[in-house]
Amino acid sequence: MEKPDTNVPMTPSTPSMPNTSCGADKGTLPCPCAPLAFPYIPMQENNPVRFSRMEALQTGTLFPGLDLPFKAAIQAKTKLANTALVELMALDFAIDELGLYLVTHAQDQEALQLYWSYIKLAQEGREKYQKMYGPLLQTDLTPEAGYAWLKDPWPWDEGGND
Amino acid sequence: MFVYEKKLQYPVKIKNTNPKLAAIIITQYGGPDGELGASLRYLSQRYSMPYPELKALLTDIGTEELGHLEMIGTIVHQLTRNLTEEQIKTAGFDTYFVDRTTGVYPTSASGFPWSAASMAVKGDLIADLTEDLAADAAMAEV
Repeated sequence: MEKPDTNVPMTPSTPSMPNTSCGADKGTLPCPCAPLAFPYIPMQENNPVRFSRMEALQTGTLFPGLDLPFKAAIQAKTKLANTALVELMALDFAIDELGLYLVTHAQDQEALQLYWSYIKLAQEGREKYQKMYGPLLQTDLTPEAGYAWLKDPWPWDEGGND
Repeated sequence: MFVYEKKLQYPVKIKNTNPKLAAIIITQYGGPDGELGASLRYLSQRYSMPYPELKALLTDIGTEELGHLEMIGTIVHQLTRNLTEEQIKTAGFDTYFVDRTTGVYPTSASGFPWSAASMAVKGDLIADLTEDLAADAAMAEV
């Protein structure tokens, strides 16, 4: 499994095809002749700039354009531990974010390919995690280990996030 | 349907208990702008949506909000684990403790149990999505 990009500085990763339109923090609106009295939300453009996975998990979004801290307060980003669990969390978060993006941008081929590559990585990540910590799904069973699903710690317990 | 994965979305490792803080954070669990409201709002609104993009969006976001609910519950649980009687008497928490001990109950910080009165499901696309925008902005404030 590839190493997490924890040492990558704040600069987001740029997609291979540069965006020549509005920029990371702006979107597209319907044409000038839009119906009256409706509020409009600019649509995020195709192939948006992204954070690294670890940055994304720390920031709370995969897309710098959507990083809008309330009252423009710059939130201190706590450093995350470099464990198999956190790596998997960062990967799964990127997958969640890309999944949501794809709901409204289903034709974005670059995003689809990236999504698919992350899903394959996550499958490896899960196997690695489960060998160390036990099942993630109720149906992840190794009969020799008994019904390990019920074993402590559960995610809310002390030691459940080590 | 729903499948549970045995991990949080983001790690929660609280070393020091703080019942005073727990009494405030509980509002993000069961308060009017908390995660329970968010989950039920999205998961209930999705049924009347006419477009697949919206059904997917509301289902996916509603599911993620349930994961957030779990994280907030974890935070409250870890903030109130193994409290001494002295700690329980700390301002605000004894009124919660008398009925719940260190259970995690969906209530606002002011003690008002979670209610669907704090959310709207109108069955109208624009109204529902606009309510979602307002609710999520309010949640960002909390």
